[in-house]
Amino acid sequence: MKFEADPITMQVIRYAMEQIADEMGYTLVRTARSTIIKEIKDISCAVFDAQGNTVAQAHHAPMLLTGFELGMRALRKHYSDSELEDGDVIVFNDPYSGGQHVMDLVTFAPVKYKGEILGFVGSIAHHTDMGGAAPGGTAGGLTEIYLEGLRLPFIKLYKKGEEDRELFGILENNIRVPDKTLGDIRAQASANFVGIRKMKEILEKYSPQVVQACLKMLLDGSENRIRSGLQNIPDGTYSGVDWVDDDGFSDEPIKLQVNIHKQGDSVVVDFEGTAKQVTGNINCPIATVHAAVYYALIAVIDPHVPPNSGCYRPFTIQAEPGTIVNPIMPGAVGARTNTSQKITEAMMLAMSDVLPEKVMAGSHGQITNCGFSGYQPGTRKRFVYIDIQGGGAGARPTKDGRDGQDSHLARFKNTPIEAAEMEYPIRIERYEFIPDTGGAGKFRGALGLRRDIRVLIDDVSWARYGDRQKFEPFGLHGGKGGGKGQFILNPGTPEEQIAKSKGLDHLNAEDVVSLRMPGAGGYGDPKDRDLHSLLKDIRDGKVSIELAKSDYGINVTPKMLADLD
Amino acid sequence: MRLGIDVGGTFTDLVLIDDKTGNIHFTKTLTTPKDLAQGVMNGIEKILKISNSSSDDLEYIAHGTTIGTNALIERKGAKVGLITTAGFRDILEIARIERPDAGLYDIFVDLPEPLVPRYLRLEAEERIGADGEIVKPLDDNSVINTVEKFKKEGVEAIAVCLLFSFRNSTHENRVREICQEVFPQADVTISSEIAPEFREFERTSTTVINAYLLPVTRQYIKSLQDRLGEKFGEMDLRIMQASGGAMTAEVAKSHAVHMVNSGPAGGALATGLFGRLAGEDSIISMDMGGTSFDVGLIVNGQPRIKSEGEFEGYPVKIPMIDVEGFGAGGGSIAWVDAGGALNVGPQSAGADPGPACYGNGGELPTVTDANLVLGRLNPDYFLGSEMKLSRNLAEDAIRSFVAEPLNLSVEDAAAGIIRVVNANMVRGISANSTQSGYDVREFSLLAFGGAGPLHAVELAEETGISRVIIPPYCAVFSAFGGVVSDIRHDYVQTIAYSQSDATPEKLQAHFDELAAQADQLFKNENVSPGSVHLERLIDLRYEGQSYELTIPIKNIGKLEQKDIDKIIADFHSLHKRIYAYGDPSELVEFISLRLVGIGQVPKIELLKEDSKETSAPLQKAERRVYFPGSGFVETKIFEREDLSPGMSFNGPSLVEETTSTSVIPPEWTAKVDVYTNLVVSRN
Repeated sequence: MKFEADPITMQVIRYAMEQIADEMGYTLVRTARSTIIKEIKDISCAVFDAQGNTVAQAHHAPMLLTGFELGMRALRKHYSDSELEDGDVIVFNDPYSGGQHVMDLVTFAPVKYKGEILGFVGSIAHHTDMGGAAPGGTAGGLTEIYLEGLRLPFIKLYKKGEEDRELFGILENNIRVPDKTLGDIRAQASANFVGIRKMKEILEKYSPQVVQACLKMLLDGSENRIRSGLQNIPDGTYSGVDWVDDDGFSDEPIKLQVNIHKQGDSVVVDFEGTAKQVTGNINCPIATVHAAVYYALIAVIDPHVPPNSGCYRPFTIQAEPGTIVNPIMPGAVGARTNTSQKITEAMMLAMSDVLPEKVMAGSHGQITNCGFSGYQPGTRKRFVYIDIQGGGAGARPTKDGRDGQDSHLARFKNTPIEAAEMEYPIRIERYEFIPDTGGAGKFRGALGLRRDIRVLIDDVSWARYGDRQKFEPFGLHGGKGGGKGQFILNPGTPEEQIAKSKGLDHLNAEDVVSLRMPGAGGYGDPKDRDLHSLLKDIRDGKVSIELAKSDYGINVTPKMLADLD
Repeated sequence: MRLGIDVGGTFTDLVLIDDKTGNIHFTKTLTTPKDLAQGVMNGIEKILKISNSSSDDLEYIAHGTTIGTNALIERKGAKVGLITTAGFRDILEIARIERPDAGLYDIFVDLPEPLVPRYLRLEAEERIGADGEIVKPLDDNSVINTVEKFKKEGVEAIAVCLLFSFRNSTHENRVREICQEVFPQADVTISSEIAPEFREFERTSTTVINAYLLPVTRQYIKSLQDRLGEKFGEMDLRIMQASGGAMTAEVAKSHAVHMVNSGPAGGALATGLFGRLAGEDSIISMDMGGTSFDVGLIVNGQPRIKSEGEFEGYPVKIPMIDVEGFGAGGGSIAWVDAGGALNVGPQSAGADPGPACYGNGGELPTVTDANLVLGRLNPDYFLGSEMKLSRNLAEDAIRSFVAEPLNLSVEDAAAGIIRVVNANMVRGISANSTQSGYDVREFSLLAFGGAGPLHAVELAEETGISRVIIPPYCAVFSAFGGVVSDIRHDYVQTIAYSQSDATPEKLQAHFDELAAQADQLFKNENVSPGSVHLERLIDLRYEGQSYELTIPIKNIGKLEQKDIDKIIADFHSLHKRIYAYGDPSELVEFISLRLVGIGQVPKIELLKEDSKETSAPLQKAERRVYFPGSGFVETKIFEREDLSPGMSFNGPSLVEETTSTSVIPPEWTAKVDVYTNLVVSRN
């Protein structure tokens, strides 16, 4: 019997799917072993229909959420239905077949119900280490994919619910912190098993026909919402340019250009004008490029649309192979977020004239990722501590950037200082805003962040990447740009020196790494800034009296501050 | 006699129970928002009059107040100064950097503003290390300067949160001393006392909220005590906490944060009571009102407690009854999105203008409108006939905003609205239960709140629950929580021991310290030692994890190795149940010890009525009501007041009472038990 979906049953099924994705995410975070998953939450979970369309996502990082698409398509081509068994968990991380960077391990598991594949569940998690030349895989200066860690094609790590000991053995031998990473992989598998269990309950309750018909309707509904949103945007081509500082190998700035061709109810995005592939690891795999474009379009067209594969149907992405937005083998891609964040920024800039009320000024536009590694005093056990930070979020047409809050593709938590210090031989000495790094405007950009980390033992490697240290976050509609970032080694001492934004260094006990994350751009003319807000910023030490004069044109007197409520 | 008082937004509810006879009196008075204590006094006078009792008969008053909650929602707390470790004044505002879920794709959604602005967040020169060692001694002068500045700025309360103070509180204690010397007028809250657990942002947030609410809650309690004293002489006043326990008024004056969100706790405790009376100890409570839907879990007769939560977007690390709120209520608005999907909520019509059928100018269709169109609500008997509902207006709203866009009949659209809001609530129920490893089908559902009994049985059907309890006194249900609430104090100590470090001797020594603190406080509160008992729990995790599971310790005596082994074994199996994975060969870590001190109040028994009636009740009317699968069918209508113990009747039927309506679908049977609970079971 053919079941005709209706918008009401569809909604009931949708909630059930979202609940499955949420429970998977909850399981993964609660059971993981590495700070990058359990505290930072650099993960994502999703549910797919039988064809491999994403139908529900947990509330995680948009970069990984939309990033499932290409990997899933590749998986559906790779295996026939009969090759997939109940309880199989397939992992992969290959940036050249739909993956992100090798640190992001994807796990997919089929949902087999009465012998038939009726859906999939999946999780992505950023791992602490996948082997390779530098601990944590985050070092600048790496020049090919082979240096970045184990690159896994689709492999069945679990067969019919059982771990494959041989494959686990290969991983164990090639990873610096196997107890952490293997624990994290098991946590991902747990999340998948929880997802499968719940999905089967739903299939049992509503029948496969009903579920499938409703999911189709759900996807069509999201597509329709995006298409109808597109109808309200004038046709035309909108371009935006942003820059990546360098590739950590040469000093050459790297151009990133997006061209958004909006016509009727669909959009084509190309990257004509974007730099060729580079030697260093800022090349951005195509799956991440898709995520960045999808995120920005959804954010301006219909941010509350049920996010699923249907949303992406009106979008076409054209990225020339051999450019930084579609690298070819064996280009290194480990620091891709420097580029993907710029894609989002360039998209916002491109749309800032046609949709001024929907966009955000330039943000931190990068992710600062540091991997500290050495041997624990006492036990001599290898450790890798990953510290991830963003910076300021851009001002908006109606409000300031929220100081301290993440933006766009990056959506993750910081690691509590107390959690980090109880586990690793480091001491964090500062974690605070950097005054005057928020671009002036009618609405102010958010401030940049400073985090100072002292290592307490000798022989610690410091692998890292960051960006926006040469090109400031842009302001919009008269708003000024925000402060740039910088990495400083041993600040305020005779040994003080600037460290490269992408690199690998050796540290000894008492060395201090001072990470200065970029601020964000302002929105609107600073002269239109409400005086009360400006004075409050000054009282709070977020804006200096000097900057108030130079950027806002206001001579602030002590009396003005004293009169503040 | 015990008196329970629960202050809500509109009404102040009171329940008076006679321990000896089990007799119950209850009433409501209007809440007096400008001066909450006045409404409470009015209520007390009213209930004493109704019950013909005197204040001398009152053993104690257990009071749930929204004073703290309101101050937080309205941002009307004290001007707080925050002292942090040097280098970390911005922790409170940086938070965990993650934007809220609603801001995943919406660039306009932000975290709430911090309760202390940056210029009032100042630093103390000091540093404690991860093992509790002093890395940098406290510089007293840095604190003195800071406190002087607070004084000049007119700060009313001071919060102190230094790194690793849960490991070593000497610096925080010293900072408090200095504050008290330099600026004795300001209240001081230190983090090592209010939330001695790791994760500095969450601990700071909790400490700040306590400081923020301290002056206003203390003022309120004092004024209520004064008025009670004037009117009735000295009175034992107890204040409800979010944990479901009570504390004496004196203790409450320094524990402001514990009062936040104590309202839902009352409902959960009352659920436990009525569940016990109905012979159920695994219950899901659902409280559905005009704008929200709160779900709680009762396991082994006890409401489940979590050790941290969030309020108004701010994390709070205090024990609280795990009641999760969702934006689904009678006032939730139904709308069709551009993709052609029917949504209900999160927008609510609230009380003003309210649902379209109220006729107060609301034009948008709500869940209440759908219930009216489906015949479930009686337009002439809503809030005891105080308000007449307009079916025409409800139909118009549903027609224009749902039926026509979806090309459905008005009735089908109304049924759709109910299905969607129910699906939303089903999601809420599973989020709160299956996520914690429980199978909802093993639970009963207990429904209260104005709209709870309208939806409860259908929700049970959707989730596979086979028994629904609809208690009497729905209208004052939360106030029942107070009269069964024990005095409770929670203590926690983060230890972070590896498995090999966790010897019974060490754990026992830590527990002894916590027990001494509890004993002292109970003594100060004049709680008789005989009624005090202490529960010990311990948070465990696998080595390297960040989140713990709490394992109760069954042995109440001196800890031995076999107790430790049992704790570890319990952890492995609980982990397996919740996360589909548990490995007894893996090492665990002992993170925090928890001690719960409980000053038990005697259990109450309610008056039982004989169940001599076995006949069906007299139906007062019949009308056409919609049920999924059957469409509109002629349905018997009963009046709740006409029901007496022993009676039973089949669905489809409705039971109307002044503040609520219970829907009994076909295939379900309702029975009235000896406590006049309506117990509805699947046939």
